[in-house]
Amino acid sequence: MAFSSMALPKMISTIHYRSFSVSTVVAAIQKMTRVRVVDNSSLGNTPYHRSPRVIHVYTKNGVGKVGDTVLLAIKGQKKKALIVGHKMPGPKMSPRFDSNNVVLIEENGNPTGTRIKAPIPTHLRKLEGDYSKLLAIAQRFV
Amino acid sequence: MAARTQRAGTLIRLLGNVRFQNERMFSVFSVRLRAAGPSDEPPKFTPPAKPVIVDKSKPEEAVRRFISPEFIPPRQRTNPLKFYLERKDMLQRRNVLNIPEFYVGSVLSVTTSDPHAANNTNRFVGICTQRSGKGLGATFILRNIIDGQGVEICYELYNPRVKRIEVLKLEKRLDDNLMYLRDALPEYSTFDFDMKPVHLSPTQDVPVNELKVRMKPRPWSKRWERPKFNIQGIRFDLCLTPEQMEHAQKWAEPWRKYDMLKEYDTSSLEEKIYQEVQAELRK
Amino acid sequence: MAVWSCRCLRLGDALLHRAAGILPRTGAGTSAEGGAVTGCVRTVKTSTWWDEHLTEDNVEFMKRDVTEEYRELTAAKLNPLKDEPWPRHAWEEQSRRVGLVAVKLGMMPVWTKSGDRHVVTMLQVQDCHVIKHIPKDEYDGNSAALVVGAKNVSPFYRSVEYLEMFQNVGVPPKQKLTTFCVTENAVIKPGTPLYAAHFRPGQYVDVTAKTIGKGFQGVMKRWGFKGQPATHGQTKTHRRPGSLGPGGDPAKVFKGKKMPGRMGNVYDTAFGMKVWRVNTKNNILYVNGSVPGHRNCLVKVRDSILPRHLAKNKNPPFPTYFTDGDEELPEDLYAEDVFQFGEPIPE
Repeated sequence: MAFSSMALPKMISTIHYRSFSVSTVVAAIQKMTRVRVVDNSSLGNTPYHRSPRVIHVYTKNGVGKVGDTVLLAIKGQKKKALIVGHKMPGPKMSPRFDSNNVVLIEENGNPTGTRIKAPIPTHLRKLEGDYSKLLAIAQRFV
Repeated sequence: MAARTQRAGTLIRLLGNVRFQNERMFSVFSVRLRAAGPSDEPPKFTPPAKPVIVDKSKPEEAVRRFISPEFIPPRQRTNPLKFYLERKDMLQRRNVLNIPEFYVGSVLSVTTSDPHAANNTNRFVGICTQRSGKGLGATFILRNIIDGQGVEICYELYNPRVKRIEVLKLEKRLDDNLMYLRDALPEYSTFDFDMKPVHLSPTQDVPVNELKVRMKPRPWSKRWERPKFNIQGIRFDLCLTPEQMEHAQKWAEPWRKYDMLKEYDTSSLEEKIYQEVQAELRK
Repeated sequence: MAVWSCRCLRLGDALLHRAAGILPRTGAGTSAEGGAVTGCVRTVKTSTWWDEHLTEDNVEFMKRDVTEEYRELTAAKLNPLKDEPWPRHAWEEQSRRVGLVAVKLGMMPVWTKSGDRHVVTMLQVQDCHVIKHIPKDEYDGNSAALVVGAKNVSPFYRSVEYLEMFQNVGVPPKQKLTTFCVTENAVIKPGTPLYAAHFRPGQYVDVTAKTIGKGFQGVMKRWGFKGQPATHGQTKTHRRPGSLGPGGDPAKVFKGKKMPGRMGNVYDTAFGMKVWRVNTKNNILYVNGSVPGHRNCLVKVRDSILPRHLAKNKNPPFPTYFTDGDEELPEDLYAEDVFQFGEPIPE
């Protein structure tokens, strides 16, 4: 146990994604899904021995897709986040990502970080009204 | 005369570079020619005809035949009229949108209209990892790595949102399905968005890129070493021990190839549909 | 041909028909035995197969001749009955038109102009004719009925009674017959061919067909029961129905209890399906979504009865679409928001 807790942060820092054993491709985001934080907030980027996990999905059926809000357990605290990409293939003509990506947000919907490092699907722009600040800090859309 | 031989020699060398199926034959031939060239020059008996013979030995440089795989209907007890009507719609669409010849392993760029993107168009570049679907529902998957993040998009060939399909590099790979690129090192699926299109003449054969990829450490999304995938394009020797490779053969099903019910010979069907499609597109 | 004894009783009847028209099955002339059979348990064969006493050439000729005749009948596209046409009435609210019998071909996608994808089922209207008109008082007293048939079949191996119906209206025998309840103003003269243009793009239809037979199935597949856990001490109880109801007080299992049994192969209706497109040349209907039944099965298509779609079904071709009539239709009719593949790329 001690060994794994020591080894994990090192792995996270060296390999960018696929750093932990992954859930199956067909599963969307649900409770206990481990996710990758893709913004530059200090909370999401400092190494920690436990990867961020989803502890609640704010949808009716408990299944999160792109554009849904989740509650994360990250570094021993609770934090809201927005799903900006997942491994499960969505509708045709929309991107599918190799990791489950989230962006940390405050209670009012503003992003915690100041930059999003990974590409963001364009159909997130449908949420322009609620998350315009978040979309404004995105670097790249696909 | 000498200049002509030299030109022919370079031509042959060029041809050799493109890696034909019968590459070895070509290279041997060109070596012999080059060796023979200078020795024959003193007796003033330059053989400029020989390279011409090489050209003749190759069949007439016709434009290569290609029919998109979604034109071939699946084997089932459906009225052929259904496939005919679908083909008619597909050809109508192809008269408006140029859908070029491409294969799994080719690098494509697709421009789509997207109401959410800037100036309503969205362009994506990537390697085609899979083609699936028959008829109007045909799809292909493009894969690329953007900012260290693997992205795949499944496009529908006949979706009206597709505005332009451009082939940046026309080639084949060793496999018909490159889904293993998800588990390969990222450099194998990284492509530049500003990549210049590589021209390939319409009379040349499509080159096969015999690239073998190196994989990330296991676990992979699928056990690619299993015989049912029959993957040629992975360097298994780097990631698996011989014992593991042998162990994977436990799932081999060598009797499958004797199952005559699974044989589906489409050659005559393909020929018929090819004629029909060509006649329609020429209009 | 399993009903030999029944056929014997009707032999005299059949002989009359033989004299009258096409011989679907030639008798051997052993009519004398007819009366003796009635009480017997064991049936005696008194008629023969239609080609039993024909030479091969004659069989060949009969088949060719009949095929040729039926093709002509279908190709004529006109009402074969020579008496004057029945009066045509105008459409009004509460009118119910006749429907069609069509063959399910398969499915394909369509896109709207905004880029949304829908899947459609292609239904081909094959040799669809009105066969019989049943007046109101003869049917059920509430509405008149029209019998519609589709898909021509060989007349050989069909009973005389079945073929008589088609001879009366002068159309080839059909594989499938269906009854449609219609209002009095929507009756059509028997023998009239029906086309896919009977329905117009943008309107809504109901499609009825026999679902795919699934055989004997358990409650989980047939009724969607939950079953029991895989583990936690279960012994031989994973997909079973569980309790069938209360015990001592009713002391019975209530009627209609959902239990294992034959699943599928029953008539089912898909309601309120939009017609996206109609091909008038090949008589194809492109109906939204999936339709009960297997590929190549015969389905019954009629105007939707759902109240929310009544407004969209107003002023259809009434009582049906006639080819000899006024309007000349293009090959393909599209609903207004469908993307047509030949049109330039939308922005």
